[in-house]
Amino acid sequence: MSRAARRRAATSILLGATVALLLLWVFPILWAIVVSLKGEVEVLAWPPSVVFAPTLDNYADALAGRFSILPNLWSSVVIATVTTAITVGLAVPAAYAFARLRLRGKQTIGFYTLATQMIPPIGLLVPYYLILSKVGWLDTYQGLITVYFTFSLPFAIWLLVSYMEDIPHEMEEAAFLDKAGRLRTLWYVILPQVRGGIAVTTVFVFLNAWNEFLFAVQLSGNTVRPVTVAMYNFVSVEQTLWGKLSAAALVAMLPVIAIGFAAQRQIVKGLTVGAVKGGGRR
Amino acid sequence: MSVAAVTLPSRRRRAGLLRSEQAFALLLVAPGLIVLLVTTTFPLLYLIWSSFQQINLSMPWVTGFAGLSNYAQMLNDGQFWHALGLTAIYTISTVALQLVMGLGLALLVIQIPAGQWLFRVVAILPIVLAPVVVGLFWRTLMLAPQFGMLDYATRSLGLGSYNWLGDPELALASVIVIHTWQWTPFAFLVLLASLAALPPDIFEAARIDRANALQRFWHITLPLLRPAIVIVVIMRAMIALSAFAAIFAATGGGPGTATQILNLYAYRTSFTNLNFGYGSALAVSLLVITLCVSGFLFRLRTARTR
Amino acid sequence: MSAGGRVSLRGVSKAFGEVVALRDVDLDIEPVEFFALLGPSGSGKTTTLRLIAGLEQVSEGTILVDGEDVTDAGPGERDVAMVFQSYALYPHMTVAENISFPLRMDRVPKGEIAPLVHEAARRVKIEHLLDRRPGQLSGGQQQRCALARAIVRKPRLFLLDEPLSNLDAKLRLETRVELKKLQRNLNVTAIYVTHDQEEAMTLADRMAIFLDGAIVQVGTPEEVFERPQTVAVAGFIGSPAMNLLPGELSGRGVVVAGRRIELPRPPDASSGPVVVGVRPGHVRFDPDGLPAVLEVAELLGETTLLNLRLGEHPIRMRVNGKVRAAEGEPVAISFDPVAVHLFDRTSGQRIATD
Repeated sequence: MSRAARRRAATSILLGATVALLLLWVFPILWAIVVSLKGEVEVLAWPPSVVFAPTLDNYADALAGRFSILPNLWSSVVIATVTTAITVGLAVPAAYAFARLRLRGKQTIGFYTLATQMIPPIGLLVPYYLILSKVGWLDTYQGLITVYFTFSLPFAIWLLVSYMEDIPHEMEEAAFLDKAGRLRTLWYVILPQVRGGIAVTTVFVFLNAWNEFLFAVQLSGNTVRPVTVAMYNFVSVEQTLWGKLSAAALVAMLPVIAIGFAAQRQIVKGLTVGAVKGGGRR
Repeated sequence: MSVAAVTLPSRRRRAGLLRSEQAFALLLVAPGLIVLLVTTTFPLLYLIWSSFQQINLSMPWVTGFAGLSNYAQMLNDGQFWHALGLTAIYTISTVALQLVMGLGLALLVIQIPAGQWLFRVVAILPIVLAPVVVGLFWRTLMLAPQFGMLDYATRSLGLGSYNWLGDPELALASVIVIHTWQWTPFAFLVLLASLAALPPDIFEAARIDRANALQRFWHITLPLLRPAIVIVVIMRAMIALSAFAAIFAATGGGPGTATQILNLYAYRTSFTNLNFGYGSALAVSLLVITLCVSGFLFRLRTARTR
Repeated sequence: MSAGGRVSLRGVSKAFGEVVALRDVDLDIEPVEFFALLGPSGSGKTTTLRLIAGLEQVSEGTILVDGEDVTDAGPGERDVAMVFQSYALYPHMTVAENISFPLRMDRVPKGEIAPLVHEAARRVKIEHLLDRRPGQLSGGQQQRCALARAIVRKPRLFLLDEPLSNLDAKLRLETRVELKKLQRNLNVTAIYVTHDQEEAMTLADRMAIFLDGAIVQVGTPEEVFERPQTVAVAGFIGSPAMNLLPGELSGRGVVVAGRRIELPRPPDASSGPVVVGVRPGHVRFDPDGLPAVLEVAELLGETTLLNLRLGEHPIRMRVNGKVRAAEGEPVAISFDPVAVHLFDRTSGQRIATD
């Protein structure tokens, strides 16, 4: 076989093997989708069937049935949106000051921000449970969101700083010469250039807030019930009703999956930006 | 020339210009910093304080200053050491597996001429899922005895049926697999991007210098990837140390204490046994361990870049 | 804005921590002058420009523009415009928005902005690019966009930081001429930083030569070329560079490379070690002259540059047309005594010969 033909064969085998590996890797998710379309009886069929009559009953149940997860979705939306909005609103100016202005004690503050990311969540859950119960903020939105700041804020600042640092310094100098003051320079010149970075940060903060479990399971209750907690409770309630479980889980994960697909290029860039510039969460 | 008389007042104004920039910077940082201080430092101090107290909500009459007794109890606690060992095994094996598999996949995919984007898109899927959902899916669909797909696979291959999550000897391996499944794509994506960013001309130079594929990988690719690898290790180690949701959903820390990493042990002590004092001490020890590990890994990073 | 822009620096020094970038600089720039700040990298010329712009604060000294003390004024308060070496265009704005930015920041009424933007764009010939973004422009077009942004508000001072260094050679020559014409048309003072002595010589009305954080000479291109004040300046100005040889002054002549040259006019000093400077154009073939060896001949088209070796010293010589000598061949040369420059060997200062 000629050299070129051998190479092509090798590439095809390579491609085939990697595609197979890929399918194998996402099999759990694919299978979950399949199971979610199965009826109660079908789910327990053995050996598991791949060809069957699909049904949307499980999805209908997840949305409108007795254990509808709609209120959970709403809870998660409120928590994630408010957390993200406030976090990004606080982090953007802080990251700008950090990355591009002369700040007294920059080193100390920077180290402090980095250190707070190192705190394991259980280390905050214990005191927060005690504190929130004393203040009466258990099972409240404000209580949970306050706790969520502990991991989203330092992360957002850290990520935004790396984006802000990339802009050449002459930008501010040119703007100052054009008689733009500090605030207007930030608004008209700097922020538009980090739009991508702000978008990526927003996505990550939202994802982390939506998927959070430890704080959610302990600090929520009947009023505040995010989807992650609902899913966990599901297992004990619906023993082997995997069809319903899969459908509910997929619906619960739909927002983050949608965001993941929509912003995939930004997410990959965000992961690598973080990797290039220094360690931290996610 | 009376230079002093000319410059003295202007030096004051000059200092004013610097001070106005610092004031502006402070104004921008203050709100975020205050929120951070209030939400993290205060509870952290409370945690440390509680670790020196006796707080047991199942026995509310037991209160008061405990001194170091919680910590003494910890050092004598077999479960603590067991949990510590499990944490070490869990962290090291998941990070190592993620790194090796992520790198392997990246090396495979980088050679594919077109369609790399498909792999990137698919890789994002496990990452964006909530760990609790991942744990649930694996517990029910994949690893359930008799009905799970893995069982189906092993039975079809004649390897028999196992209780993947209920058997104490298999449970730890199972949760390691679950964690690795979810996070290897992260390592894959980062390493793939780093590989793509390597300048092609040095590889061409190496081929002219008669280096074969393995030599090129060992002497050029790997050293150039070192910064990315170190970052991946740091980030994944931090996540592994604080892993909770997936294990909790899959095994709850069991069977018995087979998958009870330190994180879960602290949780169980505080919220199941309601012994918050001792739980705080356990949490503090995990905090110390995390800081030490991250400190060590960071130093490794700066040492390598020198 | 009226023609203006007289700049004065008095005793200006600038230190960055331990490093002293500028030492006690005095400078006067006349209105509507095209003034060049010339020097190698690290000589302090860019620092001086940034101090005039207000982007850095002086460590000592004062800066006056049109008589008013602006030493402590911020960059927005000095009515100066600057073209950065990297152009510093706002990548997220169109060309038109980039050019109009200073007007918007100055709160010029909206109706007046568009005509001003068009006028500025027309002056630099980029009117057809107003809707593009900087990322879609070529290097030369980006540079002209930066120029337009600088001239649109008719500042009294126009600062340029090596604006041509990112352009290719041909474009550089073309743009040079346009810059000079632009400055004349606008009737504005321009301060131009460059390390390229040819640029300074062709563009500037006057220039200041910087070395090691201090000004070593100020003058017109002709003055600097004909009467360099120090050895360093002599070796820096002119292309190809002036030949510099060690010599010994005695009486009315100077001994260099073993031969004595009689000087047409008595020098200010009478004896001592000197550095003798001769431009390549003033070296000529002389059968009775100093023996040298031709090492490499560079044909430049209308002239030829000969690299000779006189004893242990390399000498460059320029002749018109081609030269028949072969490489490695011995030749004999001498220097035109009228065109010889003398510098004190210890201080480097010029020794006057008239």
